[in-house]
Amino acid sequence: MRRFKTIAAILSLLLFWGCDSLLDTEPQQSISEDQALTTSSNVQAVLYGAYDNFGGSDLYGGHFYMLPDLLGTSGDAQWSGTYEGPTQVFQKNMLVDNENARATWLDAYQAINVANNVLSALDVVDAAEQDRVEGEAKFLRASIYFQLVRLYAPDYNEDPSAPGVPVLTEPTRGIDESSNVSRNTVQQVYDQVIADLTSAEGLLTGSNGVFATSYAAKAMLARVYLHMGEYADARDMAHDVITNGGFSLVGNYADAFNNSNTNTSEDIFATQVTSQDGVNNLHTFYASQQYGGRGDIEIQQQHLDRYEAGDDRLALFYTDPITGETRTGKWQNQYGNVNVIRLAEMYLIRAEANFRLGAPFTGQAPYEDLNELRSRANASTYTALDNITLQDILEERVLELAYEGHFLFDTKRTGGSVGSISWDADNLVFPIPQREMDANPNLTQNDGYGS
Amino acid sequence: MKRLLLSSIVFLFAFTSMTWAQTTVTGTVISAEDDMPLPGVTVQLQGTTRGTTTDVNGKYTIQAPSDGTLMFSYVGFLRQEVEINGRTTIDVALQPDIKQLEDVVVVGYGSQIKEDVTGNIAEVSGEDIERVPVNSIENAIQGRAAGVFVNAGNGKLGQAISVRIRGASSISASSQPLYVIDGVPVISESLSSADDAETNPMASLDLSDIESVTVLKDASATAIYGSRASNGVVLITTKSGVAGDTKFNVTYQTGISEPTNKRDWMNAEQYLSFFEEAAKGSAAYETRLGYWGDQATAEAFWMNNYYTPMVSYLAQGNDLQNPTNYDWQDQAFQDASSRRFTLNASGGGEKTSFFIGGGYSDEEGILIDNSYTKYNGRINVDHKATDKLDLGLRLNVNRTINNRLGNDNLFETPMQMVAQAPISPFYADADPNTAGYQKSEEYNINTYYYNALDITDNSYFETATFHTLGNVFAEYDILSNLSFKTEFGMDVINQNEEYYYNTQLDYYVGAKGSGYNAWTEARNYTSNSYFTYKDTFAESHDLELVLGTSYNWVNQTFTGVQGENFPNDNFTNIANAADITYGSSTDTEYSFLSYFLRANYKLNDKYLIGGSVRVDGSSRFGENNRYGTFPSVSVGWILSEEEFLQDIDAISFMKLRASYGITGNANIDNFPALGLYSGIAYAGNSALVPSQTPNPDLKWETTNQIDVGLDWGLFDDRISGEIDYYIKNTTDLLLGVNVPGTTGFSSQLRNVGELENKGFEFVVNTINSTGDFFWSSSFNIAFNRNKITNLDGQVIEGGYVNRAVEGEAIGVFYAYEFAGANPDNGDAIFYLNREPTQTELNSGSVFEFDGRYVTANPNVAERTVIGDPNPDFIGGFTNKMSWKGFDFDMTWQFVYGNDIYNGGGQYQSASGWYFDNQTTDQLDAWTTPGERTMVPQARLYYGNGTQASSRYLSDGSYLRLKTATLAYNLPADLLNRLNMDKVRLFVTGSNLITFTDYDGWDPEVSTDYLGSNIALGNDFYAAPQPRSVSVGINIGF
Repeated sequence: MRRFKTIAAILSLLLFWGCDSLLDTEPQQSISEDQALTTSSNVQAVLYGAYDNFGGSDLYGGHFYMLPDLLGTSGDAQWSGTYEGPTQVFQKNMLVDNENARATWLDAYQAINVANNVLSALDVVDAAEQDRVEGEAKFLRASIYFQLVRLYAPDYNEDPSAPGVPVLTEPTRGIDESSNVSRNTVQQVYDQVIADLTSAEGLLTGSNGVFATSYAAKAMLARVYLHMGEYADARDMAHDVITNGGFSLVGNYADAFNNSNTNTSEDIFATQVTSQDGVNNLHTFYASQQYGGRGDIEIQQQHLDRYEAGDDRLALFYTDPITGETRTGKWQNQYGNVNVIRLAEMYLIRAEANFRLGAPFTGQAPYEDLNELRSRANASTYTALDNITLQDILEERVLELAYEGHFLFDTKRTGGSVGSISWDADNLVFPIPQREMDANPNLTQNDGYGS
Repeated sequence: MKRLLLSSIVFLFAFTSMTWAQTTVTGTVISAEDDMPLPGVTVQLQGTTRGTTTDVNGKYTIQAPSDGTLMFSYVGFLRQEVEINGRTTIDVALQPDIKQLEDVVVVGYGSQIKEDVTGNIAEVSGEDIERVPVNSIENAIQGRAAGVFVNAGNGKLGQAISVRIRGASSISASSQPLYVIDGVPVISESLSSADDAETNPMASLDLSDIESVTVLKDASATAIYGSRASNGVVLITTKSGVAGDTKFNVTYQTGISEPTNKRDWMNAEQYLSFFEEAAKGSAAYETRLGYWGDQATAEAFWMNNYYTPMVSYLAQGNDLQNPTNYDWQDQAFQDASSRRFTLNASGGGEKTSFFIGGGYSDEEGILIDNSYTKYNGRINVDHKATDKLDLGLRLNVNRTINNRLGNDNLFETPMQMVAQAPISPFYADADPNTAGYQKSEEYNINTYYYNALDITDNSYFETATFHTLGNVFAEYDILSNLSFKTEFGMDVINQNEEYYYNTQLDYYVGAKGSGYNAWTEARNYTSNSYFTYKDTFAESHDLELVLGTSYNWVNQTFTGVQGENFPNDNFTNIANAADITYGSSTDTEYSFLSYFLRANYKLNDKYLIGGSVRVDGSSRFGENNRYGTFPSVSVGWILSEEEFLQDIDAISFMKLRASYGITGNANIDNFPALGLYSGIAYAGNSALVPSQTPNPDLKWETTNQIDVGLDWGLFDDRISGEIDYYIKNTTDLLLGVNVPGTTGFSSQLRNVGELENKGFEFVVNTINSTGDFFWSSSFNIAFNRNKITNLDGQVIEGGYVNRAVEGEAIGVFYAYEFAGANPDNGDAIFYLNREPTQTELNSGSVFEFDGRYVTANPNVAERTVIGDPNPDFIGGFTNKMSWKGFDFDMTWQFVYGNDIYNGGGQYQSASGWYFDNQTTDQLDAWTTPGERTMVPQARLYYGNGTQASSRYLSDGSYLRLKTATLAYNLPADLLNRLNMDKVRLFVTGSNLITFTDYDGWDPEVSTDYLGSNIALGNDFYAAPQPRSVSVGINIGF
């Protein structure tokens, strides 16, 4: 009996001996890398993931537009929030460890890697879907590179051969020495952007729900060409979108904004935000506390004075009931989409490109394009006799596209200045984030940012 | 010789069955001091695991061979060995022991006599723990165990407490010790989902259930816990019953708490004049830069556009000429009260003994809206099924309700109210100083920041847990010297987190009511099975062997949902929410499978040698490195048993010991080795994104630790102590390595780098006086040096300015070095910390100041190590005194040489950057050329010197009267008449006196929203520790 008990005890001790399977646990919230890109529907899901990252708070979900507006404004708006990162941006005094410079860089490349993963797995996508998936991924990738190179490198119009940002077109499969990439030139980045968008424009169709269409690619191309000063190409792209895209300006200017999870007739592309997913970080900082925002950006009288009385675009500004400051009404809805490109911008691009190239005009005369927007806003309209100037067109961009991310880049491409700071000044370019400099010895820092 | 032969035979045939002539021995054990019977004395047959304990009358009965030897041991008394020599009645009088080296200490999978221990172990008795009025077990050992650095971090109740045993041995993995309660490794990590502020499951324990806490520090003590032992192991043993009449023990105490410290903030008048100065400072600055033609115009602009509109807005009707002062800091705090009631009973018969206890405590925090309530029940039962089979149960069920607060970085956390302007009223109506004032129901929400009074009043955030912790075990004596124990332990926590912001707070949450409800269940199952073999042969050879296996499986599930827009505040359940804005459920698990072996051998009661090895497998690691082996060896030499020391009367005890061992750290997330994609959503479509790159080679962090120590006692152990020196070398650090962001990832967990902790620990115990007036002291001090020896060139940042970098201690502060105000113009200046270029010198952007180069532009200055959050030394000093019925004890605790960085400084002490109320030291801001001051000119909206720099660093050393208790015990004759065993009246306090130079609230700080091994020593509106005083009564009958 005793011996039996001894044996039983020893057996129970050995019960777990060699039971490796006890150590096999599987993640429940994630799937392993080798499963993720094996089916068509999974690749489609990764593509949705690319959209989600694209619309993240540090990218087109907010900071891709808010930061250049803060950096590009002098007297029109005042940053009064306490976050250190945007404060430095607003003061044109960014430090190399600026938190927004770091976050935007990281998130942008994260999104690019997701897009690259999609593009690496096209062969498992159903044949009927392949072009669409490829076109959408390229649209997303190009749009991010375009904004990255404009933020983190000297302007194209200053020196296309200057260091741009690293261009990666293959997904990361492991991290080794080869991950220490160098910066491509500004020109190379633009080349990649144009190649991707041109390819996307050909692959995509004109209708694709709230996702990227051929017109989204064309509209983004119009924006790229305009920035490069390639006015004929810019005009043609914008004209194509206006005439063939089937978009129309919404009747009421205010209705163009704060729409949740649905595009308006003038949205060429917008990141989708609902209470379930997506983020509108412009709301976070621009909206008053009453609308659940932080109310960190005050619109100044200098900006309001730009509008004539009765302009609906002026009426969209509102007084913060808590602080008495003026806020823009474009980003009032916490769950409102972020308008990435609106049809209004196409009119402005066509007008400017036509004006710069001179008659004969494609589509209609520049003043008529401006009138499309001004009459919609119930502002006074121009006549042919007004002989509008380039300045009128640029000012119309300010009025129509205020706080949608254009201030800095319009200044840069037109050789203007932000207050007393010249368009090509070092401090109007983001630093390469210090963490990136530390992690990758092959990167070089931008001028004006010491070590 | 005959006996030697016999013993050898015993050894040789130990595993076969043998029978001996057994007799029944009975007797009574009394204390030699007062001849009173001693209940609970362990009576053990030497060389075997067979034993019993005395009942309440000191009586025992044991079956033993007639030529055996009985060992009598009891805490606080000298162990006594008595040969049976055929007797059947043996009465014993135990001598009180003041050196306590013969106590039994709990070790991993067993216990040992302290004298024989070759490892480094610190022990805190349950009696000491029960008496201190603290919320959680970690606080109770603070200052009492050498080399154990406890930092509560925040004065909010129920939050996580940092414990570092012999320094931090990891950078990315957790550095918290392993907690083992009655043999079961328990869940000690935060289960919080709603908020960054971590919760603490350990806080749910009832301190009066605890028999002892043992802290295992060196490798020979910890290696039996293998891959989870690098950070040290804390073994907690709960009380068990003593046979005899049922004894009841009742304690009630009630007390009050207040913050240890408040800071000095500007009052209304100071605020107004300071910000006027700041607005004018900005005008002067802009004039200097050439923005304005003359200063008067600039000042008018700044006053009219910025100062005047803002202060009149902030005043909300407060008369600016003769302003009422609103002290917002006071509003953050409340008069906190607490009460605690415990009742327990213990007793039992010959076969069964029990300890049952129940407790209730209700504690209010020093911050408004913060409280912690716990209900505890415990049943511990031991049953002798047969002579050879013991069965037992340890079961604790408790419920806690924690009214929590948002983390330090939220507007709603009460401490952030200090930022409000002192001219801003608390309530929407006017001045509370006017006659006939009645408190309005409405708070003033037109404040500079959200009014936390309104938010806390119109919201709740409650976390309730239901925690079941217990184990059942069976122990069978296979032979007289061989036993087998198997136990199954279970630790299950059900936690419900719920918050609701009512509809009135739509301005804050952006919806008409916002509610959140989440359930977390953590299940932790452990089974341990092991053999213990114990024998003495040839009189001089003592051998103990432990061999066993352990399996531990932990699973955690979570379900949470958030809803917005409620019909009204009577409906706070999510079912009534118009919009469901968040919903999630997750499930994750890990497991450990382990085998362990330990051997201890003692020769001639002088020479000790021990060794252990553990093989651990963990689900957390890569395919290629799933198992690890963790060995240790140790030796000890009891010098005082040697003849050459026998003659030296002064030396009563001396033992040299040394150990070496390897332990691991596996305290990381659950699937770090796999390449993963995680699910998200876009526009209503489920989506996948890469979330982790694979690393199949991932394995444990490995710590090699050497410890040499000397235990000594002088003058009959009137003075005794320990000296230890250790070197802990951690390699293959589990490091979240920064990778180029261009890969799409920011970091990857890899085994990279090494760090080292080395240091000395000293413990000195003295008996200063015996007799009527008894006085003993215990002093401990520990010096630890942490140094990162290799990080593969990585720089890992955390906190505000912390970093991990080669050649420095973990978490050093790396920032600009602040030089004060430029006496010429009031600009903040920073030391350049490099050689300037000639261009810089010519342009004047860099200039010499007090013999060093400085600049007003921090972008051109080099950052440097400005401080170290790790203390040079820590320790404690405990004194216990008793005289007649009175006893008094107090514990001082100290931390020296660490720095604290105040991340809130750039708002609190910022030369008037924003309209945040400022600390009064800002009144020293520069005003006139030539003035030397460390506070740069006040400049509204300009942030003059607010960059992260040594301006916000200060010394965090402190010395604190951690606890003090004064008690009166009713005399024995009175008790006899009352038919009671004990009546004790006491007054006790914690954090009573603090000496520190720290600028902030309290030097025991670590802001709760920045939690990592690197983000050390940061303050950010963190609540100070509570200073508590309570009175109570303890009755035993």
